Amino acid sequence: MGAKSQGKEQLPVNKAQYLTFFTAGEEYAVVIAKVREIIEYDTVTTVPNTPSWISGVTNLRGKVIPVVDLAVKFGMQPSRISKFSCIIVTDVMFQGESITMGVLSDAVSQVIDLAADEIEKTPPFGTRVKNEYLLGMGVMGKKFCLILDIDKVLSADEVLTVTESVEEAGNDSSSDAATKGGPAKPSHFGAGA
Amino acid sequence: MDLADFDRGAVLASFLVESEEGLDAMEQALVQMETNPSDLELLHTIFRVAHSIKGNATSLELPELAGFAHVVEDLLDVFREQQALPGPDVISLLLKAVDELRAMVAAAQSGPVELTQQQHRLRKEIAHEVEKRSKRVVTTNGAREETSSGPKLDTLPNPNHRTLRADVDKLDHMLNLTGEIVIAQGRLRQMIEKLGGEQGRTILEMHREAERLYMDLQSEVMSIRMVPVGPLFRQFVRSVRDLAKTHGKVARLEVTGGDVEVDTTVLEQLKDPLVHLIRNAVDHGLEKPDVREGKGKNACGVIKLSAGHSGGNIVVILQDDGAGFDRQRILEKARRVGLISGKEELREQDIYGLVFQAGFSTAETVTDLSGRGVGLDVVRRNIDNLRGTVEITSTKSKGSTITIRLPLTLAIIEGFSVKVGSEVFIVPLEHVTECTELPAAQSNAGASGILSLRGDPLPYVRLRRTFSLPGEIPNRENIVVVKVNEFCAGIAVDELLGGMQTVVKPLGKAFRSVHGIAGSTVLGDGRVGLILDVPSLLRGVMQSSLQAQA
Repeated sequence: MGAKSQGKEQLPVNKAQYLTFFTAGEEYAVVIAKVREIIEYDTVTTVPNTPSWISGVTNLRGKVIPVVDLAVKFGMQPSRISKFSCIIVTDVMFQGESITMGVLSDAVSQVIDLAADEIEKTPPFGTRVKNEYLLGMGVMGKKFCLILDIDKVLSADEVLTVTESVEEAGNDSSSDAATKGGPAKPSHFGAGA
Repeated sequence: MDLADFDRGAVLASFLVESEEGLDAMEQALVQMETNPSDLELLHTIFRVAHSIKGNATSLELPELAGFAHVVEDLLDVFREQQALPGPDVISLLLKAVDELRAMVAAAQSGPVELTQQQHRLRKEIAHEVEKRSKRVVTTNGAREETSSGPKLDTLPNPNHRTLRADVDKLDHMLNLTGEIVIAQGRLRQMIEKLGGEQGRTILEMHREAERLYMDLQSEVMSIRMVPVGPLFRQFVRSVRDLAKTHGKVARLEVTGGDVEVDTTVLEQLKDPLVHLIRNAVDHGLEKPDVREGKGKNACGVIKLSAGHSGGNIVVILQDDGAGFDRQRILEKARRVGLISGKEELREQDIYGLVFQAGFSTAETVTDLSGRGVGLDVVRRNIDNLRGTVEITSTKSKGSTITIRLPLTLAIIEGFSVKVGSEVFIVPLEHVTECTELPAAQSNAGASGILSLRGDPLPYVRLRRTFSLPGEIPNRENIVVVKVNEFCAGIAVDELLGGMQTVVKPLGKAFRSVHGIAGSTVLGDGRVGLILDVPSLLRGVMQSSLQAQA
């Protein structure tokens, strides 16, 4: 991926708080320091010619922020909107700058404390999510939650790569946007369709 | 108050701000000098500040201030001649001078300045330093030779304008907030209207009044962002004079329309292009005095810089009475660097447009048509960024005119909103020429097609297909006819909603290069609507259609 090879974010050494939420039936967690706020799902405006895992943009008190659907990003069916749906507003680092992005979630679950010894290394297979997006697995009694490296997942670099490749597709005869970070939305700019 | 007085007030105001900024820069440079004693550029920086304060103070008839700055300048000049930077003692002396100059500039606001005891002492000290370091004799009782002319002005009335500098980011934020308030108000009104009854009516009445106040507030906030172009334009008066002098020419700049107001961001970004163009005009437009006299013109070249309004735009015109652009030379050069093949028929406009092309100012053209390697393509790019246009007209040996058209503000555009399915899009009104219904007979279900507009074929794109929006094409569709650089096309949409003022919100870094979308805005119901980038939309459609044909 075009991003400069930044090392994996370090897990906090001691106890830290995590927000857990559900997406496509799986419980995920993010370090609470990354979460700015949680807002009720409001209309998300689709932006044409962007990868399908970008649901669109929404209005956060006058600021227009992108919203992503992790379910699509992780190769599953798009999230269905219900009355529990919400948008987790996160601060993501991109080229040394912090940008605000929303993560669509089926429901937020809870805030948990996890000590370092309550976090297991991610097994090499068995999860539906690419290992590079995960920092580890949080142990919650008998259940697990997948701790996301949210900077990696929402790497704006990837967003750009895809939008640019859509443009390239308009210029070159074809370009497999799909291999560059996710399936692109069908577009009549692309490949002369 | 007569005209001269009025003008002086404006010049004084601009002098105060400029000097304040200059002294800040001088202070910083002095401090840097202590830690970085090899950077001669720092010396030039502080010299320039002292020099321009002296010059401005002289023209404003502030002899004491001019005299003080003059001595400071003398001291700096000694070091400039020796190509050396002052030591710590002199630096602290100069820093003290900065403090006193600051006090004097502030005092100049309320009339001519008299030096205090302390300032007299400091001036003597500096003059002594100059004499010690050079053979130069310094007049310690003011720059008399520069103030002898003209009767003394009456004490200026204290300008009653109370001003405050504010961060533009804060203004942006305020504008956003007022926009949000309007949206929240709209929702509230809908709720109250549902309430009904006697009480509901009373509340609604009250609410209407509040709404009116909020609207006033919003237009107030917008007007804060508008600043007059005068102070920026007046800065060039002096630089034209100086620049002409260094080239052995005589020139003066005439400024008109200085009170025309424009958004502060626009003005900021207009500065660099103007600097380039003015430098260019003095450097290459104006001839030397003897050449001018030979042509029967006044030895003193005149450059006119004016601003005015024209149909929601601001028009800045830079006119000089110099030699004009040389068409033949431009054509030759363009051919040599491969911008044109030499066969095509070029309109007058297109020929002059060539000088704005990147690559034109390379190689030897640097010395011919632009100054110091700074290309005119930078001018074009800056003005493009402002969604503006620039045009040159020129007559040989009569001079040239450069016309820059800019929108009044970047924060707000006049938009025409349309609906496709459930999504609302905004077409910038500047591109819209008319709207019409798409006759069912001329409709096809594809991404694009041709319709007949009063007998002429008009290509159109169907937004629903181009943007792959969900839903079925309705029975009745409408066409927004847009025009980009003389090229007309239609955009097929479901519904026309009408014109509205649109607060532009950038889509942010994550969407830097989305085709066909220029930005976004928050609609009346709190949703986000996308603003179409009409030129890029049409380009995209043309490209894909070319590929389809290939």
